[in-house]
Amino acid sequence: MPTTFFGWVGFLIKQYGGLFLTGTGVTLLVSITGTVFGFLIGLLVAIARTIEPPRGAGSVRRGLLRALHMLLGAYIQVFRGTPMIVQAMVIYYGSMQYMGLDMDHTAAAIFVISINTGAYMAEIIRGGIISVDKGQFEAAHSIGMTHWQTMTTVVLPQAIRNILPSVGNEFIVNIKDSSVLNVIAVSELFFQAKSAAGTYFRYFEVYFIVAVIYLVLTLTVSRILRFVEKKMDGPDNYVIHGSQSDSRAEIVVSRANEEEVQKRWNK
Amino acid sequence: MEQVIEVKGLCKAFGSHQVLRGIDFAAGKGEVTCIIGSSGSGKSTLLRCINLLETPDAGQILYHGRDILTGGVNMPQYHAKVGMVFQQFNLFGNMTVLGNCMTGQMKVLRRSREESESNAVKYLQKVGMEAYINAKPRQLSGGQKQRVAIARALAMDPEVILFDEPTSALDPEMVGEVLSVMQKLAQEGLTMLVVTHEMGFARAVADQVVFMDGGVICEQGAPQDVLGQPKSERLQAFLKSML
Repeated sequence: MPTTFFGWVGFLIKQYGGLFLTGTGVTLLVSITGTVFGFLIGLLVAIARTIEPPRGAGSVRRGLLRALHMLLGAYIQVFRGTPMIVQAMVIYYGSMQYMGLDMDHTAAAIFVISINTGAYMAEIIRGGIISVDKGQFEAAHSIGMTHWQTMTTVVLPQAIRNILPSVGNEFIVNIKDSSVLNVIAVSELFFQAKSAAGTYFRYFEVYFIVAVIYLVLTLTVSRILRFVEKKMDGPDNYVIHGSQSDSRAEIVVSRANEEEVQKRWNK
Repeated sequence: MEQVIEVKGLCKAFGSHQVLRGIDFAAGKGEVTCIIGSSGSGKSTLLRCINLLETPDAGQILYHGRDILTGGVNMPQYHAKVGMVFQQFNLFGNMTVLGNCMTGQMKVLRRSREESESNAVKYLQKVGMEAYINAKPRQLSGGQKQRVAIARALAMDPEVILFDEPTSALDPEMVGEVLSVMQKLAQEGLTMLVVTHEMGFARAVADQVVFMDGGVICEQGAPQDVLGQPKSERLQAFLKSML
């Protein structure tokens, strides 16, 4: 048996490396799919919550729309207002006892994270939609776009760019908070660590390793997200095609020489 | 003359504030109507009602004799036929200059990509912005943005374009480039409704000038009459203040 801290860490990694690895895999699986599904749920909920009753809509349609808004509002309140660990228990054991469903643990975990994340995403995306200038909606409507077309082609691309940091934040939260799903016996990283720690009673060393793994995951994800944000902004440069003297000329304008080139071109 | 847009008894209130109190006027095919008046007189609201960005409380808006408020007119089609140019340009920030001029054609008119692009380029040439097709709106000056916004409206091949103070947000040296584009369009016979403070433009280009004050039309008629021999005191005072 090892006697030092690092000795134990090395020993445990050798002994349970595979376990940690599959645990990490499951953690990534449930947090990625949960975030993606949560984002899609949030997108639909947010779009539905921004629909205004169309002009001349009858009282039935107005009533239905109001009922839908209230239902979606309740969904957000409930899932933001209760801990995910409790939601997991209620959903997993509730579906088992009252609907006779024996859900696969991983599937149940993805389900819980998705609808939990959906509630947060709905509010984040709604904030993003509100932050887009009203003139963008008006311009889209003035050329005849429907609410759906306005959303998908004009508003959401801008809203999503604006909220990308918050969405990434949700993803990182999910990587960490999926650990609470060990209560419904999902074989994610924390769950695996519990069984590893119990064998030799080396809690500190095992959770030290687990902490490092979580940190590596979240740091890597932050880096990737930062990269995606930069990509979405597009290049700072653009090309002016043709000049007064040469129709095939291409002038590259960057932020730095923008004013100068424009002045010259406008002459 | 065939009336394209006809407004009858239009009323609009925001809360307890009555902005439009019964507006009646008509714009004939190929006519340029300039709507003038001081801030808060309801000019912009009138234009926004015609484009249905605001829902009127009472009255009629007839497009070729058919009321657009009581249904019977296909809304996307109506919007495609009645374009709008805004004070704040409102170019789509996530698209290039070319994309701004193509998306409406593709989504609303269901034109092919190729047709939309060639049409967009044609109108960008008309406003002198063809060199900037790949630029994003944030990289353009105000005057350039507004010229692209005009091209975007033109690309839908509209019958009427509503201009809501198109030069009010521009630096003085950029007003000219936008007005000259608009003048060109007027000469080509486009029906235009222009809310403006540019009296020189109104005098030179308008077929009809409408002076609004306090939510009603005070005077309307040919520019030489309305601007040259104002009858009401309000208009006389207003024109004096514009000098």
